[in-house]
Amino acid sequence: MKSIPHKRSREVEAWLKREIAEQKVRYRKIVAEQDALAPKRDKWVAEFLQRIQTRGTHVHFNMMRKVRPEEIPVKPKRKFRVVF
Amino acid sequence: MPRPHIEPFVDRDVPFRKFTMPGFPKGMQYKMLSLDPDNGACTMTVMYEPGYRQPPGMSYSEYELFVMTGSITVGDKVHGPGSYFMVPAGITIGALSSPRGATALLFYNYGEPSFVESDSDHPRAERARFAAVNAYDDMQWTSTNFFPATAPGCLVKVLHFDERTQAFTFLYCMTPNFWQDNISYHDCAEEAYHIWGTSWMMQFGDLPTGGYFYRPPYINHGAFGCKLGTLAIGRTDSRLYNHFHFNPWTNIEENRERAASRIQHWMPDLYKWINTHGHNHPVDFDFPHGHAHGDVPHHHGDGMVEHRHKAKRRRRK
Repeated sequence: MKSIPHKRSREVEAWLKREIAEQKVRYRKIVAEQDALAPKRDKWVAEFLQRIQTRGTHVHFNMMRKVRPEEIPVKPKRKFRVVF
Repeated sequence: MPRPHIEPFVDRDVPFRKFTMPGFPKGMQYKMLSLDPDNGACTMTVMYEPGYRQPPGMSYSEYELFVMTGSITVGDKVHGPGSYFMVPAGITIGALSSPRGATALLFYNYGEPSFVESDSDHPRAERARFAAVNAYDDMQWTSTNFFPATAPGCLVKVLHFDERTQAFTFLYCMTPNFWQDNISYHDCAEEAYHIWGTSWMMQFGDLPTGGYFYRPPYINHGAFGCKLGTLAIGRTDSRLYNHFHFNPWTNIEENRERAASRIQHWMPDLYKWINTHGHNHPVDFDFPHGHAHGDVPHHHGDGMVEHRHKAKRRRRK
């Protein structure tokens, strides 16, 4: 039993409504901040794709394998989203 | 709609506010980290003001409490930093006070925060599931034991494991100069809070002390790095499996499809059975059958996956 059925009071409903509205604002702010991070992220991705060809990518614990150049994925044309 | 993807969010950037939820005593402040708009389940950083007093009582939702600074007294026992409680719905805990104040994390996993003054458990409470431990003093760090595993230097202390959903709550630390060069996603939702330290992820950048995320399933995260070490607490809502890969640009749909394809290859017989069986309501003989209790969403081959119904009456012989 994770939760016991009960009736919410009007005050609780109002509190939740306020919190949900504030969370929407918070979410939009996060999306905007993450969009602004795109140029840095592109640089990090380029460095990552380089590293996994030289040092390797982690497969399990300390097991790594070097990725061949033909395995490197191509960036799709769609927008690069990180927050969903 | 379940909780949205909140990542990253740093609670140090926002002030504490008075917690005015009906039923709770005065003297508690909070910062909302994430909230499920449907059922009110939420995670909060809370501050018990010096002198806070709460009578014995229970919550309608299961909750977890982790003390970060200061101390709280429950009954006659003092619980300092690292103290962790898993309190099932309806379980009454003793009077709680904080003579000198404390900060903590509160996870209400299945419903909105609630407090009902009571000296005894609710009739439907499951007392055996209550757990309390001091994660700093009473437990030691271990390597992660899931396969494939995170890179060496990420250690865990499992605080709570739900045997039915395999959801778990854990402390984790990243040693100084930890790095892991792959991208991961999971079939479960996960959330985490940085108690101390800064770590880095290729998608989101640095997550400092007070940093938090709630990440729904199938969202890419990693590569990972940590220069000076990090101590954090994390929680999943079901089994965690590390789906590793190295494509930075895949989306949720592609990741989910890959996970389903992997199940097809790892458990071909089960996959076939689930796909071809007209009724997708499998029964776990270890747990109550949803048809008797109507508590498990399922469908009858029509794709209406949120189907529920009340318990069927049994005929007397």
